[in-house]
Amino acid sequence: MKQETPGATQAEHKQQAPPLPADLVRRFAAVVGEGYAICKPEQLHTYESDGLASFRVTPGIVVLPESTEEVVGCVKIAHEAGLPIVARGSGTGLSGGALPVPGCVLMGLSRMRKILEVDYDNAFMRVQPGVINLDVSRHIGPQGWYYAPDPSSQSVCSIGGNVAENSGGAHCLKYGFTVNHVLGLRMVLQDGSVVDLGGAVLDRPEYDLTGVVVGSEGLLGIVTEVVLRILRKPEATRTFFATFPSTTEAGNAVSAIIASGIVPAAIEMMDTLAIVAAKAATGVDWPEVAAALLMDVDGVADECEHTSANAIELARKAGALEIRVPKDTAERELMWKGRKSAFAAVGRIARNYLVQDGVIPRSEIAVVLQEIAALGQRYGLQVANVFHAGDGNLHPLVLFDGRDPEEERKAEEMSGEILRTCLRHGGSITGEHGVGADKAPYMAEMFTAQDLETMQLVRCAFDPAQRFNPGKMFPSPRLCGDRPGLYRPHPSELSGEAWRA
Amino acid sequence: MARVTPGSIDEVEALLAQGAGSVLFVGGGTAMPPGPPVETEISTARLDRVVEYTPADQVVTVECGVTLAHLQGELAKNGQRLALDPPQPEKATLGGIVAANSFGPLRTRYGSVRDLIIGVSVVRADGTRAKGGGKVVKTVAGFDLPKLMCGSYGTLAFIATATFRVHPVPESTVTLRARGGNPVEVVRRVRALQLEPTAMIALGEGTGWDVYLRFEGFAAGVRAQRGKLPELEEVDWPGTAEGTVRIRFGALPTHAAQVARALGPLRARIEWLPMAGLGFATCAAVDRGALEAARRELTALGGWLTVPGDWGPGPASIALQRSVKKQFDPRGVLAPGRFVV
Repeated sequence: MKQETPGATQAEHKQQAPPLPADLVRRFAAVVGEGYAICKPEQLHTYESDGLASFRVTPGIVVLPESTEEVVGCVKIAHEAGLPIVARGSGTGLSGGALPVPGCVLMGLSRMRKILEVDYDNAFMRVQPGVINLDVSRHIGPQGWYYAPDPSSQSVCSIGGNVAENSGGAHCLKYGFTVNHVLGLRMVLQDGSVVDLGGAVLDRPEYDLTGVVVGSEGLLGIVTEVVLRILRKPEATRTFFATFPSTTEAGNAVSAIIASGIVPAAIEMMDTLAIVAAKAATGVDWPEVAAALLMDVDGVADECEHTSANAIELARKAGALEIRVPKDTAERELMWKGRKSAFAAVGRIARNYLVQDGVIPRSEIAVVLQEIAALGQRYGLQVANVFHAGDGNLHPLVLFDGRDPEEERKAEEMSGEILRTCLRHGGSITGEHGVGADKAPYMAEMFTAQDLETMQLVRCAFDPAQRFNPGKMFPSPRLCGDRPGLYRPHPSELSGEAWRA
Repeated sequence: MARVTPGSIDEVEALLAQGAGSVLFVGGGTAMPPGPPVETEISTARLDRVVEYTPADQVVTVECGVTLAHLQGELAKNGQRLALDPPQPEKATLGGIVAANSFGPLRTRYGSVRDLIIGVSVVRADGTRAKGGGKVVKTVAGFDLPKLMCGSYGTLAFIATATFRVHPVPESTVTLRARGGNPVEVVRRVRALQLEPTAMIALGEGTGWDVYLRFEGFAAGVRAQRGKLPELEEVDWPGTAEGTVRIRFGALPTHAAQVARALGPLRARIEWLPMAGLGFATCAAVDRGALEAARRELTALGGWLTVPGDWGPGPASIALQRSVKKQFDPRGVLAPGRFVV
């Protein structure tokens, strides 16, 4: 995914479709209210892209429903009119998951931000999808509870978006991802029917469709309510920051800590460029060393004291130059702010950059970082690394100058080579940002045609006309009922009900 | 009926591709629901290899016929374990554990098999081999086929291999018992004190409960937690219930008392996980009338109750569930009549 610093110019991949007929616009407006059915070209611009700003497509209409009933109303109109539907939360996604398709109904869910129920004794919460991730923890924090998944964008990203992308965050090493914290869902299917999956009572005798919908990137339906697992806050958290002469020693420290039986709450690595950027953005006084780790352990206080002392000792043995322990909560928060702002901070040291998201087995970190550095030398480009070391989720940022089309082309090529490096080491093309529009072509490198066809069965069960988010995730379009081989038009394609995006 | 014991996943693939008629995949038989006879039973007994184990990555891939006890033995050599403790580990296979979503008291801290599985390879009804997830602890590429397989009872595809995240074996363990404890109050106390038990179970026969808590981890943390519950006695962890019928049920954790009342007439030993709101009732024989009455009461509370093969009223999402089944098994040959759909 590509980030641009303000003022940068860049060729955009922008597509247009003819405007929606006025009678359809009126029907949508009748469901959501006049001000919440948006189709003026100047207003549609806002919705042309998500966090992956280099791809832009104008939607046919933007609707902003406020309730499950309004979502049903909109889905039914789209169903009858044969229009594709793309859901959008806060638009912070980094893979183009909420990128419109030409002429689509873009369904913005940011008005659905009610917290519907909180039950501490049964440790769950029921919320609408537009609720902001951090607001969940803020709501229950005073009672000593929190919601574990913490993507770096948590102050703006929505729970609905987290569900679509199965969002992670620094602390998912110990606590798991969104899917481990979603107990149930209410969703609107392609024909406008409403279905409840899972719920606060666990393990109902049914297929785990909740687990399938989480991370399905908006391809299966529109989620309108989410039942979240909430956790009692741990008694203590201990944080330390350690610097290393190179990423190799830092990687060895991570391996040694984990091999000792410690399950850190988070363990993050940054290299020199990322440290420089974080310093520029937040004022943390980190030394500009080759590598740094930021680590949290949490839990029962005595256990934390024990594990943090052990981890610090192991970091020293692995060759740490310096260990810093924050003296108070404010200093700890500043350290984490430095880490969480690192992506955006790179904009201070580079005109443009691509954010990559790949995963490798954590024992391969040192080797893969060397390979990425070698790629950088070969392409003549700088790479900043800031990532979740504990679970091997790399975020190499490839720096370039977008005014030079050749450099931009090289950056894109190199970013793809990084993904291939992850795959060669037995990893994945995405750990938390999703496939979306950006990485669909790479799915065929990670999965066989049979794997992808099997995943498509799930989609065909939910959305046979492929109305929801067409063109995302899968590398080559295939309609439900297609057999591999020669192309034949599908009946729904001939009738204009579906098309190959 | 033919019973075959393939020696490789390729053989399973060939069997299904050539059309084995209606089939049932058989592991250790510890959680197999009854159902109509099938044309071919495929035993996983010889698919018993640990395919890949990288201790440094805390990730292991096994063939479906590996028993839980065998896997735990292999992991223990490196001080690791799969944080799953369903009954009969000597017999229960990993394929069966995934298919039946089997679990034990460790669920309190580590969740169920869906929270530990990270990858799967399957053979579909027509012999198509496919995989989902991966062998890294974090991946969001594609639909989550591993989770779809959890609790699917072999009705969607043959689970050929599964990849799991594993955890370190704790350095120290202590079990405490609250006799005659109210599970809801014990959970409140645990949370108020910010304790983190890895396993918790309430045992009941009749109306009262004995609540067991297990603390695990580094000795310093275990000692500290034990010290905060000075009035509780240290005991051994209770054994798993013996019995021929194992009823499963679920309800909100705060409904513990209503659950005990509803299940009383079954005259079974009740195991209740007070933080998960899930339980088992084990007895020698089941009285149909008492079972139906208990199910009605639990259903009225928003809960559920099943015996293998008797799933109770279908879920609210039954049409969608059937649609998934139809896509994966259009001819309905996989484990017919063994699950809700």
